[in-house]
Amino acid sequence: MTAFAHAAMEQLTDLLGKRLLTDQESAERYGVDWTKVWAPSPCAVALPETIDEVQQIVEIANEHGLHLVPSGGRTGLSAGAVAANNELVVAFDRMNKVLDFNEFDRAVTVQPGVVTQQLQEFAEEKGLFYPVDFASAGSSQIGGNIGTNAGGIKVIRYGMTRDWITGLKVVTGKGELLELNKGLIKNATGYDFRHLFIGSEGTLGFVVEATVKLTRQPKDLTCLVLGAPGFREVMKILHAFQQDIDLTAFEFFSDKAMAHVLAHGVPKPFDTECPFYCLLEFEQLSEQVGEQAMAIFEKCVEEGWVLDGVMSQSLQQLDQLWQLRERISESIAPHTPYKNDISVSIAKVPDFVEDVDTVVQDAYPDFEIVWFGHIGDGNMHLNILKPADLAKEDFFAKCNNVSKWVFEIVEKYNGSISAEHGVGMTKKPYLEYSRSPEEIACMKAVKQVFDPNNVMNPGKLFDV
Amino acid sequence: MKVLVPIKRVVDYNVKVRVKADNTGVDLANVKMAMNPFCEIAVEEAVRLKEKGVVTEIVAVSIGPKTAQEQLRTAMALGADRSILVETDEDVQPLGIAKALKAIVDEEKPELVILGKQAIDGDNNQTGQMLAALTGMPQGTFASEVNVADGKVKVTREIDGGLQTVELTLPAVVTTDLRLNEPRYASLPNIMKAKKKPLDTKTAADLGVDLTPRVTTVSVEAPAERQAGIIVGSVDELVEKLKNEAKVI
Repeated sequence: MTAFAHAAMEQLTDLLGKRLLTDQESAERYGVDWTKVWAPSPCAVALPETIDEVQQIVEIANEHGLHLVPSGGRTGLSAGAVAANNELVVAFDRMNKVLDFNEFDRAVTVQPGVVTQQLQEFAEEKGLFYPVDFASAGSSQIGGNIGTNAGGIKVIRYGMTRDWITGLKVVTGKGELLELNKGLIKNATGYDFRHLFIGSEGTLGFVVEATVKLTRQPKDLTCLVLGAPGFREVMKILHAFQQDIDLTAFEFFSDKAMAHVLAHGVPKPFDTECPFYCLLEFEQLSEQVGEQAMAIFEKCVEEGWVLDGVMSQSLQQLDQLWQLRERISESIAPHTPYKNDISVSIAKVPDFVEDVDTVVQDAYPDFEIVWFGHIGDGNMHLNILKPADLAKEDFFAKCNNVSKWVFEIVEKYNGSISAEHGVGMTKKPYLEYSRSPEEIACMKAVKQVFDPNNVMNPGKLFDV
Repeated sequence: MKVLVPIKRVVDYNVKVRVKADNTGVDLANVKMAMNPFCEIAVEEAVRLKEKGVVTEIVAVSIGPKTAQEQLRTAMALGADRSILVETDEDVQPLGIAKALKAIVDEEKPELVILGKQAIDGDNNQTGQMLAALTGMPQGTFASEVNVADGKVKVTREIDGGLQTVELTLPAVVTTDLRLNEPRYASLPNIMKAKKKPLDTKTAADLGVDLTPRVTTVSVEAPAERQAGIIVGSVDELVEKLKNEAKVI
């Protein structure tokens, strides 16, 4: 440890006492997210309890050239919260309180360490609803959701995290505390920095407080699981339903994904085997909506777009049918899958999927490609399973080629190399496939404004 | 062979129920209702018996409000051939339901009545037994396996400490336990077909039964909230607390 680092650690110990963790176990726990590519190697873990402490940590970092990595639930899939280079992890676990609720604003002010599910449950207690939801809601924290602009399964209806944040308090890389937008709905006073910080992956500053708006609870959610003869038919089904019904979700998955999830013990929806399946969900606000859904289903069958389908008859069945989609990830986990999260505009999805299938299968015919995703918003999760007889290293080496080809196709279709998982370190080398050199230069210039000494999560998103 | 499947409309299993502020009951305003899960299992068993060729007709019946039609439609989408609603706005209780069912049994003369062992709202676990007593039919309760052959039904029952198999002469009453089968989903084509299947509505008066509740609810209260636990620092502290605070040793 250098003399500089020694001095920094001393100041941090004075500030935090026992809330500065330096043991190996904590380092390994707090230094990684769900990507297991980089070995965690932070210098220590700080557990601040107040905004003031966060500011002081940032000041110490600036003084001593210490690098900071923010840490929430660490459920990220792009290594945005990985500390592999002797950084100080700033974990928000202790800043996990709901601070204020206003029933007229239908807004709740929370600290960044509040777990997503905790916020959802708080909203429910108040007879309201926080609609941003995803598989990791039980561990992910609001601060991290904001840092990555988390999306999930209800984006088609409710949008991304960005759409629910009405106010932010952030500590910038200079240690300043900024209060952004103050929970207002209408505020036409120039640059809205709030949206710069949302999705910035902690590279500009750390979120230390957020005001989140809530909405009414959905009424009588009902879902259909439909089988389709092809991908283009899935798109036609989406179009047909969206004409008349406000869908709260539209998910698709391939026959291969279905096979894995059924083998995992989730009950089968129906016997007819189909190349593609979709799950769509809507509120049965009245009997009429149910009738309408049936009429659209009938039309889809007549047109040959749907081969078979079921409809949930209770919330319990709604939950069970959702498992067909939500448990795909864990059902393929034993096959060491390569994962990619990409998006294109909805109309381009079928061509995009076809192109990727062709390119991958031509090069590696023994790779099993499993597709699923939130097709209602153009977001697909590409998964490639490791053939059992291929060594892990060889598989991932080949997958690096796949990444490049996939991103070339993403670029061709004007899509995004990361729809909802962020860039972090895993996608940093590919940013240029989605962002122009001019844009990236602007991003770096913005970073310079808020974090001139590059102490905030350096090495993520892009290299300065 | 005709089978009768009584079903009940209850608060959806996934709804977190709340007690009304005046403690008169559970708040049912704007709450999602669904078919009782044990009834789903009963319907599924009847449908499987029909698919095996044992049963020729499935009649679903429900005693409850007009809206219970939804659950009867679901039963028909799952495979029931027709259904009967005994419409009432009374807060019906097991004895009343059993009497109504007896009247239906007298009319329909099914050889088998399959129903859930209990409904998840009242958790009474009485209707099947009362129906058996009123009709004089033999009963096989808590079924985890049902085999019908040669005018008899063999029912494997889940009892404390193991399984018991009883053989009943038809007609008989069977109540279903959780592990009897895994109910299927209602397919959309069948939901559409179910709309055209017959649904007869009757009243208690038609059947000549009195559905007036015999039991009065005095008060409904939510279970007491559990206190959060604490972590003690040492064995000594634990012993001290057990002795002086909990006073259990």
